[in-house]
Amino acid sequence: MKKYSQISIKVSDFSEVPFWKKANTIDLICVGYGLTIFILVLVSYILGATDFLPGDPQKLNLALLMAPPGTEGHILGTDFVGRDILSRLIIGIQAYFLPGLLAIAISLILGTCFGVAAGYWEGWIDTIVTYTSNLLNSFPRLVLILLMVAAFKPDIYYIMIVVGITNVPAVASLVKGKIQFLKQKNFIEAAISLGLKTRSIIIKHILWHNCRAILIIQATLGMAEAILMETSLSYLGFGVQEPTPSWGNMVQAGSNYFLQGNFWPSTAPALAILFTIMGFHLLGDGLNNILEGKRNK
Amino acid sequence: MAALLLLGVSFVVFIILFLSPGNPFNALLKEQAATGAVSDAAKRGLSVPSSWYTQYLSWLGNILKGDFGNSIQTGLPVLSEVIRVSINTVYLTAGSMIMTLVLAVPIAVLSARRGLTPTNWFFTIFTYVVSAIPVFWFGYIVIYISIHQFGVFPLASSSSSQGWSWFHFMLPVIVLGLGNGTISEVVRYLREEMSRVFAEEYILTARAKGASIWKHSFKEGFLLPITEIIASKIPFLLGGAVVVEQVFSWPGMGRMAWQAAQYRDYPLIMGITVVAAIIVRMGSLMQRVVQIMVNPRASRE
Amino acid sequence: MSNGPVLAIENLRTYFFSRSKQAFIRSVDGVTLHIEKGKTLGIVGESGSGKSVTALSTMGLISAEPGVIIGKIGLKTETVQKNLLRDLKDHVKINMSTGRIMSVYKDSLGWQKKINRLMKGIRGKEIAMIFQNPKLSMNPFSSIGKQIAESILLNTSISNRNEAKDKAIYWLEQVKMDSPRLRYYNNPYGLSGGMCQRAMIAMALSSEPSLLIADEPTTGLDATIQSKIVDLLAHLKTSFGVTTMLISHDIDVIKSLSDNVAVMYGGTVLEHGPARTILTSDYKYKHPYTAALLSSIPSQEHIREKKKLQVIEGDVLDTINIPDGCRFFERCNKVTDKIKEQCEHTEPDLREVFPGHKVRCFRFFRT
Repeated sequence: MKKYSQISIKVSDFSEVPFWKKANTIDLICVGYGLTIFILVLVSYILGATDFLPGDPQKLNLALLMAPPGTEGHILGTDFVGRDILSRLIIGIQAYFLPGLLAIAISLILGTCFGVAAGYWEGWIDTIVTYTSNLLNSFPRLVLILLMVAAFKPDIYYIMIVVGITNVPAVASLVKGKIQFLKQKNFIEAAISLGLKTRSIIIKHILWHNCRAILIIQATLGMAEAILMETSLSYLGFGVQEPTPSWGNMVQAGSNYFLQGNFWPSTAPALAILFTIMGFHLLGDGLNNILEGKRNK
Repeated sequence: MAALLLLGVSFVVFIILFLSPGNPFNALLKEQAATGAVSDAAKRGLSVPSSWYTQYLSWLGNILKGDFGNSIQTGLPVLSEVIRVSINTVYLTAGSMIMTLVLAVPIAVLSARRGLTPTNWFFTIFTYVVSAIPVFWFGYIVIYISIHQFGVFPLASSSSSQGWSWFHFMLPVIVLGLGNGTISEVVRYLREEMSRVFAEEYILTARAKGASIWKHSFKEGFLLPITEIIASKIPFLLGGAVVVEQVFSWPGMGRMAWQAAQYRDYPLIMGITVVAAIIVRMGSLMQRVVQIMVNPRASRE
Repeated sequence: MSNGPVLAIENLRTYFFSRSKQAFIRSVDGVTLHIEKGKTLGIVGESGSGKSVTALSTMGLISAEPGVIIGKIGLKTETVQKNLLRDLKDHVKINMSTGRIMSVYKDSLGWQKKINRLMKGIRGKEIAMIFQNPKLSMNPFSSIGKQIAESILLNTSISNRNEAKDKAIYWLEQVKMDSPRLRYYNNPYGLSGGMCQRAMIAMALSSEPSLLIADEPTTGLDATIQSKIVDLLAHLKTSFGVTTMLISHDIDVIKSLSDNVAVMYGGTVLEHGPARTILTSDYKYKHPYTAALLSSIPSQEHIREKKKLQVIEGDVLDTINIPDGCRFFERCNKVTDKIKEQCEHTEPDLREVFPGHKVRCFRFFRT
């Protein structure tokens, strides 16, 4: 097909070269940054879970309101009721971790099932999956969540279920696209003609060998979306409720003082969100470039 | 297809509310009908259908007649209320979409054509940063700057009596256009589609005959991806509008949805969800039309 | 009549840099060939021998990724006379140390701009190109007629749309398209591969070029359509007399269409001379590779007597690690003990052994 663009790789065998040697430096930087963020998030989660914090995230200190960063005892300062921002940032991860994983799990598992069903068997299953995807894509996610909030109670897990379900079409269409691509290359026919079992073709050859990159990337992007969504909902008052800290409700609470010129209590968590989301996005896109070989023509 | 999808939308909305513990009917009666007997009597008295599908069908029938019921909070008919404010939301989202594209397209075109030069690299990082900002915090920054630098209080409600100035219109549009979290994705998608099309063999032919590659790549490399991205990002913009309208007190659908969610105003939130879905489907329809116009093959698929 | 060749390529080298191998892939490595006015030069060789890259280098269509194009491509027509690779070297910096290329810095933008400026008025106008894979090479979003008319408007003196349309229909007639008036409005996907290729040829000819490059014009088509396209090209050759560079791996196509032939192997030309003599099987003074190529094609004689076909042993040359000696040395079956040493360690040059017939083989060198 792409005869002219492949001229340069005609004689080289890419399979023996480790992927990081083929990769673009920029992509490696992106992934490196993303991984750093990822590890920081993990470490914070463990620190929070083991209660190994620099200060008490709930202790009020009315003598030291909205202290700037660098204040003794409070490296990142204090918020509007004198609580230690750093501790709250670290423990704020807890609000996302399990719910975010739930959202990712839902979107990946359902998305993979739908995608495989639509791509592998086609026919009426494909029609149904396409219809369901279009249906889910018709709802603005936040509006659907507001509907859920109105119908049920505002709970982070309900919200994350919606986030997970609304991510299903994206994952499903990626998996389906990959399978269609493999079919075009007669990969699946070849596997069938070798007498492999359907289950082993799907699990081992399609999902493990060809879709794991897609799924990893979608997982990182899903985490980013979970955090952003919680932030928006916190602002609307439906996110994680005080006094349990989440980055979203920290920005929200702090932003009440923003217009008076007290930037720090909302800027600190906002920056944490910014760097984390960026990290997950860059990780996802960088991995996509490296593993899917977009720029290696 | 669109009609079938909207039918599905209405069904999903109905099911969510049907399953909810605080039944819409109870909410309507508030505390007056705490006991089951009173509730049942009231239902009989109002001739409420008993089984779920008859309830759905009668609700659907009303919707098709344009009757979404009355808002619990205000008592006004839902449909006219939603349509009144949805115009404002359409302004906001359309403006932000244009804003996003104005920013994203040049970056995408440059990096597709020239690869990652330092300038493009800077812009690309910029799009990632912008996409990661919590949109309401960004809104607060903009408000703060506008108050302290320009001395204008930029909330739409503050000037609603004497009509909006461009300032009140532009600020939310800029905030939503930049902060809707999709710019980096838009840039990435456009760039990849363009690079893919630039590598097509017919572009090589065009170059070989001395023709402009822009002309030849326009349809597949620009028009189709752009309509595709517009259609697929409308839900995100509508979602972002909920937050931005709240920040700027913009009298739109998102703000109304927020109020409805707070007061559990079921008819209202149902109406808003359905109207939002209609807007999304209209975007997809537009994309489909462009696709068929550009590429007659698509109509046969 | 003829005053010098229309196209004279001298020592063309087109290298691509492979990031993963950290080495250059020398796709074209010292190609020298020339095409006389009104003649057809056939370029034949296995896939990977650098035929297409030579053509693309001539058109300046090699993408700007790290890579080097050096040498000289002289184009001389009634209106233009220039070296198509002039000054391109300024945009590439190669950092060498201990014989290995350590890094290549290429000002891709400047390079691209320069080559586009150099090729302006040449692409399409002076040199037109027919590509392999006609269905992919026509813009699927526009009708074939419009694409031909566009080429006419761009490259000829016709500037009136209606005239261009009439001219496009004329060219569609010339390539024996059935009902050209209707086909004018057809999009490429509605046409068969053969039809598309006819349209491609019409488009290339419509700009009335001084040189036509046909890159594998029959590959990817059905056998019956292949022969029809070959017939068409032969017919067009006699009626318009366009100077043509015909690239194919199919020796029969080359044999029936070209006046001269250049045999390429491993990025270089091994033999260059009149097609009629070189491509006949009983002609003795040809390069071992050409001989091997010819004997690997089933002839009528082979089929009748059920003889075994001779295959060329070994693999196509690895164009990263090109050996010092003759490129064909490892696969050559005609090495004699007398010249073996020489073949292994020094590369023969392309030397004229008969008038108009150049060979790169020590067997024919008299000194």
